[in-house]
Amino acid sequence: MSQWLEQVVERAEQANLTGPRLQALTALKQQRWPTRKTEAWRYTSVTPIEQLSLSSVQTIRANATDIDGLDSLDLVFIDGVLQQSLAALTLPAGLTIQPLSALSDEEQTAASLFGQIKPAHHIFGLVNDVLAEQGLIIDVAPGADITQPIRIINLSSQGQESHVRMVVRLGEQSRLCVIEQGEGQDPSLHTAFAEYQIGPHAHLEHYRLALHTAKAVQVGGNHFRLLENAELNSTLVAFGSDLSRLDVDIEHAGEHAHAKFNAIYLLGSGETFDLHSCIEHAVPNGTTEENARGIVGDRAKAVFNGRIHIHRHAQKTLAELNNRNLLLSRRGQINTKPELEIYADDVKCAHGATIAEIEEKALYYLLSRGISRSQALIMLNFGFIQELINQIPNGAIATWLQEKLKDKFSQMEVK
Amino acid sequence: MLKIHNLHAKVEDKTILKGLSLEIKPGEVHAIMGPNGAGKSTLGYVLSGRDGYEVIDGQVELKGKDLLELETEERAREGLFLAFQYPVEIPGVSNMEFMKESVNAMREARGEEPLSAAEFLKKAKEACKQVHLPLDFLKRGVNEGFSGGEKKRNEIMQMILLEPSLCILDESDSGLDIDALQVVADGVNSQRSPERSFIVVTHYQRLLDYIKPDFVHILADGKIVKSGDASLALEVEKEGYAWLGGKAQEADA
Ligand SMILES: Nc1ncnc2c1ncn2[C@@H]1O[C@H](COP(=O)(O)OP(=O)(O)OP(=O)(O)O)[C@@H](O)[C@H]1O
Ligand SMILES: [Mg+2]
Repeated sequence: MSQWLEQVVERAEQANLTGPRLQALTALKQQRWPTRKTEAWRYTSVTPIEQLSLSSVQTIRANATDIDGLDSLDLVFIDGVLQQSLAALTLPAGLTIQPLSALSDEEQTAASLFGQIKPAHHIFGLVNDVLAEQGLIIDVAPGADITQPIRIINLSSQGQESHVRMVVRLGEQSRLCVIEQGEGQDPSLHTAFAEYQIGPHAHLEHYRLALHTAKAVQVGGNHFRLLENAELNSTLVAFGSDLSRLDVDIEHAGEHAHAKFNAIYLLGSGETFDLHSCIEHAVPNGTTEENARGIVGDRAKAVFNGRIHIHRHAQKTLAELNNRNLLLSRRGQINTKPELEIYADDVKCAHGATIAEIEEKALYYLLSRGISRSQALIMLNFGFIQELINQIPNGAIATWLQEKLKDKFSQMEVK
Repeated sequence: MLKIHNLHAKVEDKTILKGLSLEIKPGEVHAIMGPNGAGKSTLGYVLSGRDGYEVIDGQVELKGKDLLELETEERAREGLFLAFQYPVEIPGVSNMEFMKESVNAMREARGEEPLSAAEFLKKAKEACKQVHLPLDFLKRGVNEGFSGGEKKRNEIMQMILLEPSLCILDESDSGLDIDALQVVADGVNSQRSPERSFIVVTHYQRLLDYIKPDFVHILADGKIVKSGDASLALEVEKEGYAWLGGKAQEADA
């Protein structure tokens, strides 16, 4: 066991955990610290976590990026501490937001909280289980249509460690839009896991904007559980940092559910981003469309592991997974691996992964006509990212992202 | 307009231009002929600043500016235009979008307002007609699936739209049928002016019947080995390059 993990366990033991969180601690103690031999961490090293030097004195505070034109209900955590009083919020009818501490052990067990994040590939899910002190429980009453998006902002400032947990439950036929936005650049460690239960005929629009960069380490995940006829439309946007890792699980627990998951990553020089997604079709008649697309810069590293698991009884499943990458430098690295496990025979399942490089000739042709390098790169190579931006249901987020991503891309070096 | 002095350039450790000098005054048309592999296209690439084409010696001035100091896109904005021997296909980017971006990049460099979509469309349609390309070529991907001759005409259309001051036409006549040759030549002639200069790279004297050059140069083994007036092209047509002797013959391989 690593020193880092030892101190996590030590801290958790002092916290007198009970119920599911105590079980998580027991499970965590049996975990091995990931090495290159650990399948789920084969391409991404966890040493940045061990090497982080964190201090308990808060120095510089981070600020959240505004999204123009987005009228959202914002809940801001700075270094894991919620900056508002939940009691003082006026919420639309049908929506309740409680602090994590409001859930008793029994409720946690009943709601199968802290149980969804699979230890097999989420050691940091367990870490979050035992260390998360703050978090939110968001409930949408059956039939409620919450039109105002809820934005949960997690800011990491220099030298800080934070662990935030979220549980979101959508009642039957309800609708909700949640934006999880994480930011930070200074040396810090942030874990954020969220579990979503989407009730029958309910609809969740979801965004995870993982904008940690540079020295800010973030590890997190989303677990979506879809009941009958539930719908999920999730968009993930990530930059890379010394270590940025997300695990996204989509579980079809009820028939005729539909999940759409798009991921975009843009990694600048030396950044790492690792996305593991796992789609479980446990029941028949579910559909999943997943598109992960990224641009990988000089000495940057992208890892994409996309697993689709179609269980024996999950007939008539339709699952598509696609990963496309643009590599800007020979020194960049992309490890992409679709993993299909199909045990039902009457299913449609497609997967594919591609890695493209900048076409020097085409770039030169555009430059020779006076078009700027950044504009030329965008014209030639941004299309496949733009396609995903165009699919974003929220106009304000789409516009904001388009600017932000184009900007980042046009500043990336081609080597 | 353009002053090239003792230019040496290499590609991947192979020296291709070996002391090339050439001076072009405003309004002049210079034809460059020479055996295959002599370095004619390389000259165009070096002048336009293509990556991988490294200048090892010599100077180049365009309108008094040190051209070699500039990036490819800056050279274009200074008025350098290269019509490619092999225009590049770019599926996914429409010809229209491509040309609008480039025209507006030039305008921006000159401190002019960008053209609106409607204004540009009008100009583009005129240019398109001038080179006898159907208007749907504006909507197609850049050079995507264009025939050899259509690509060449597309290059001339860009030249007309971009209004450069120095045009380098790299074999804009090769692969053209008789009518297309006339179209290309007319396109070039329509752009001739006292302020605009041309370098016309060709293997055939025929083009020079249409575009009358002021000077003809023979480029062999990375250097201008002979210069003369239009009659030099007729000589080449008749006698080929055998008179160049050993070294250039190698390059002819
Ligand atoms: N990337 C490269 N690596 C090595 N040699 C190259 C490279 N690019 C060009 N050359 C060589 O440089 C020489 C000059 O080529 P260039 O295309 O300039 O000839 P050219 O005079 O335009 O010939 P043509 O009349 O056939 O068009 C040729 O021998 C060619 O093989
Ligand atoms: Mg050539």
